[in-house]
Amino acid sequence: MTRARNDILQGTLDLLVLRTLSSAGAMHGYAITSHIKRASAELLRVEEGSLYPALHRMEQDGWLRASWGKTEKNREARFYEITAKGRRQLELERESWGRLTEGVGRVLRYA
Amino acid sequence: MSLMRRLFNLGRDEGLSRDIERELSFHMREHVEALVADGWSEADALVEARRRFGNPTFQREQTRESDIVAWLDSLRGDLRYALRALRRSPAFTTVAVASLALGIGANTAIYTLIDAVVVRSLPVPNPEELVQVLTSDDDESGYFTNPMWEQIRDRQTGMSQVAAFSETSLNVADGGEMRRISGAWVSGDFFRLFAMRPAVGRVIEPADDVRGCPATVVLGHGFWQSEYAGRSDVVGKNIPFDGKPYQIVGVVAPGFGGPEVGRATQVFLPICSEAVLRGSGSSLDARSNWWLRVIGRRAPDVAFEELRARMKSIAPGVYASTVPPRWSAENKADYLTRTLGVRPAAKGLSGLRTQYTSALLVMMGAVSLVLLIACANVANLMLARASAREREVAIRMAIGAGRRRLVRQLLTEGLLLAAAGALAGLVVAKWTMAGLVTLISDPANPVALDLSLNPRVLGFTVLTAGVTALIFGLIPAWRGTRVSPQTAMKASARGVAEGHGRFTFGKSLVVAQVALSLTLLVGAGLLVGSLRNLSTMDPGFSAEGVLIANSGFRRAGIPAARFSEIRRDLLMRVRSLPGVQSAALADLTPVGGSSWNDEVHVEGFTPATRQDGVIWFNQVSDAYFATMDTRLLAGRDFDATDVVNGPKTAIVTQSVAERVFAGKALGRTYRTKRGDTFSDPVTIVGVVEDAKYRSLREESSGTVFIPAMQDSAPSPGMTFVIRAAGNPLALVASLKGLFADVHPSYTVEFTTLDEQLARSLRRERMLAVLSALFGALALALSMLGLYGVMAYTVARRRNEIGVRIALGADSSRVLRMVLGDVARVVLIGLVIGAGGALASGKLVTSFLYGMEPAEPSVLGAAALLMLTIALAAGLIPAWRAARVDPVSALRED
Repeated sequence: MTRARNDILQGTLDLLVLRTLSSAGAMHGYAITSHIKRASAELLRVEEGSLYPALHRMEQDGWLRASWGKTEKNREARFYEITAKGRRQLELERESWGRLTEGVGRVLRYA
Repeated sequence: MSLMRRLFNLGRDEGLSRDIERELSFHMREHVEALVADGWSEADALVEARRRFGNPTFQREQTRESDIVAWLDSLRGDLRYALRALRRSPAFTTVAVASLALGIGANTAIYTLIDAVVVRSLPVPNPEELVQVLTSDDDESGYFTNPMWEQIRDRQTGMSQVAAFSETSLNVADGGEMRRISGAWVSGDFFRLFAMRPAVGRVIEPADDVRGCPATVVLGHGFWQSEYAGRSDVVGKNIPFDGKPYQIVGVVAPGFGGPEVGRATQVFLPICSEAVLRGSGSSLDARSNWWLRVIGRRAPDVAFEELRARMKSIAPGVYASTVPPRWSAENKADYLTRTLGVRPAAKGLSGLRTQYTSALLVMMGAVSLVLLIACANVANLMLARASAREREVAIRMAIGAGRRRLVRQLLTEGLLLAAAGALAGLVVAKWTMAGLVTLISDPANPVALDLSLNPRVLGFTVLTAGVTALIFGLIPAWRGTRVSPQTAMKASARGVAEGHGRFTFGKSLVVAQVALSLTLLVGAGLLVGSLRNLSTMDPGFSAEGVLIANSGFRRAGIPAARFSEIRRDLLMRVRSLPGVQSAALADLTPVGGSSWNDEVHVEGFTPATRQDGVIWFNQVSDAYFATMDTRLLAGRDFDATDVVNGPKTAIVTQSVAERVFAGKALGRTYRTKRGDTFSDPVTIVGVVEDAKYRSLREESSGTVFIPAMQDSAPSPGMTFVIRAAGNPLALVASLKGLFADVHPSYTVEFTTLDEQLARSLRRERMLAVLSALFGALALALSMLGLYGVMAYTVARRRNEIGVRIALGADSSRVLRMVLGDVARVVLIGLVIGAGGALASGKLVTSFLYGMEPAEPSVLGAAALLMLTIALAAGLIPAWRAARVDPVSALRED
């Protein structure tokens, strides 16, 4: 699928969401943003404006599976789960993130 | 996978929006609750949550876009919007769709014809394997004698199947006035070659086509339906051809009717049965009757070039064993040098194709021009609409619509119009098809074509519609969105899409229309003029009032010795019928489809080429020239002194006298040759004016007439030419009575000379009628366009006109201003169009007769016509302009 203009940022969001879901199981959108906020010790805050388009895109691409369910407070919410395809994509994103940081680091260290 | 889901989501619009709404509002609520739990107040939490979240509508749209196929969705929206907009202005929509329907419909009709006649392959398996055998490398038609065909059939290699056929017309009436149907002689392999199956009974097989075969016939499907109402008990019945009974053995399945495109063969007869029909006059062993055409299937493992080489190699053997014995030594030697050629025949053989291809292509060009003019009209209409919607467009652009998006939307309107026009056009095409076919049909030989809608024609229509939509949709869409947002602020609706200055885009379109119309009108004028010239020229005789009666007594069993006496007697009785001014016998009638020529040998005349010495011949009785109203220039007509055993005489036409006898023909002699022997000398006793022989277009090369009375072996068929005092057809009944008196078993066919000449002008008539029609259509459309643009211009300039009138201009001045505008537009169009007109004249040169391609009178007349009608069309807006009330015009700002 074609990527949006802000490739690096979008890729990062994808990576974070996939990682979140792979470790924490099924979550709804708000829970995902809370988790990322907590796990990054408040260093990262998900831009809500880009979250839902991203979630829906990843669902269309087959990396996530979505279904309606009930929260602990008995509210209806849409829960997302990672799929096998999504796990494979997670690995790919992980690798490319690694390459990115390595490369940036090297440029910065270059005297 | 995801594409499927996205497409599916397009369908559940409502549900999708609701789901997204639920999801997003859940997120908002969670966030608000979290903030409240952190200590924020409810109101502040709400504000903060909303701020973080962003524009909810935008969110919803973004999310939704990920779920659907975006462009399809916007297309659907565009279509809905366009449909609504078009429904709101019914007048515009009707005019636009009607113009397009006429243009696209006419194009589709002509293309269908071209497809059926020129493009399509025969509907048989593997048409690319079909080849036609020819009598030389560049022979176009390829006719063979039966002995030659038999040799080819037996000797050929390289073709898996080969068959011969010959078109003919047969009389099925049992005596009296003839009733002709179209038939074909076919060889044994014919049906197998084309995979034609029987619907009832069986078809002709190789076993049926041997010498001495019985008279059997296979019916064509259409003939079976119309003559026998499709009854299955038809097998075994007899049908009389020229009086001889033939037994029906089967009916062909519907669909394919033979390799001759455009001809519906009604009956198929085996070649060997020709002996039954013609009896002693059979052509089966005739070595100089060329009547059969040969078509075969290339064997799959033989390449085309290989086949050609093989045919060339058997040619000497074929020709050597079929030399006509009575020819002169010179001609025989020539015969033996001939060869055989082959040519691909995937599209079948077609006289219709040969005759009409270029005419149809010219009509295609003309009708494309009409379509362009119609498109220009629709473009102008759309331009006017676009400027009326300027404000709306400006507002939309001001709030963020991209230009491309808006152009796409306006273009969708154009597409809808084109689609509607195409659908209506298909209907128009269907109606006009029947008329078109009638134009090219000869009632004796009606054209039969498969004109149903096929994918190619449909594809052509869709392509035409698409291209026209682009042409008339793109420019108004582009210009309509060229607005500054400032326009949205202005209270009045005056806009800039039309542009300033005196020469707006709309007017340039009208100029183009005028130019194109002039081209078409000049073409039409040339073709109509040619038809008129052909119809009214002096062909060397007076066709009006002449009846031709082709009678035969073959079945009467009258001994041949009596024919001379019967002929003389009959001629006398015909002459004494009331209503008959004069009558004569003639072997051939002018432009009658048959011809006879011979080589003339004259002392002191050496023809420049062999062809120069070959002249047309005809055999006529006395009073022929008087009946035909051909002037006798010198000498005498045939009379009682030209008897059977007397010295041979002849009458020649003027051009023969000049060319062959150097002006002095009377008393001179010529000889003809039979094989290697010269005939007795023939003395020329009269000179008549030249007359057309084979076609009305020909340059008269002269004719030699010999007297019927000197024919020692007259045939049982006699053709009478009769000049009637009144209507020639009124004589039919009394003539039939006369023939019946001679013998009840007679046959006769009537036609008038007028009809015969008219039949030969079918193609010219088609061109004239169609081009006149298209020219008139183009003129009407252009004038409509002109009127529209002028009315619009005047409406726009009301203010200016009001000012002028207030400042003292009187109504005649205003009239002149507007009409001057009109005249300027038309004159520029005419000047540009003159170039196109000259080009169109060059294109149709081969169809013209008596007209130059650059005929100034036609050009002048067309230009004058356009100018007059344009001024008339412009008169109404001009009148309205002159009556503008300056006060109200100035008040409306």
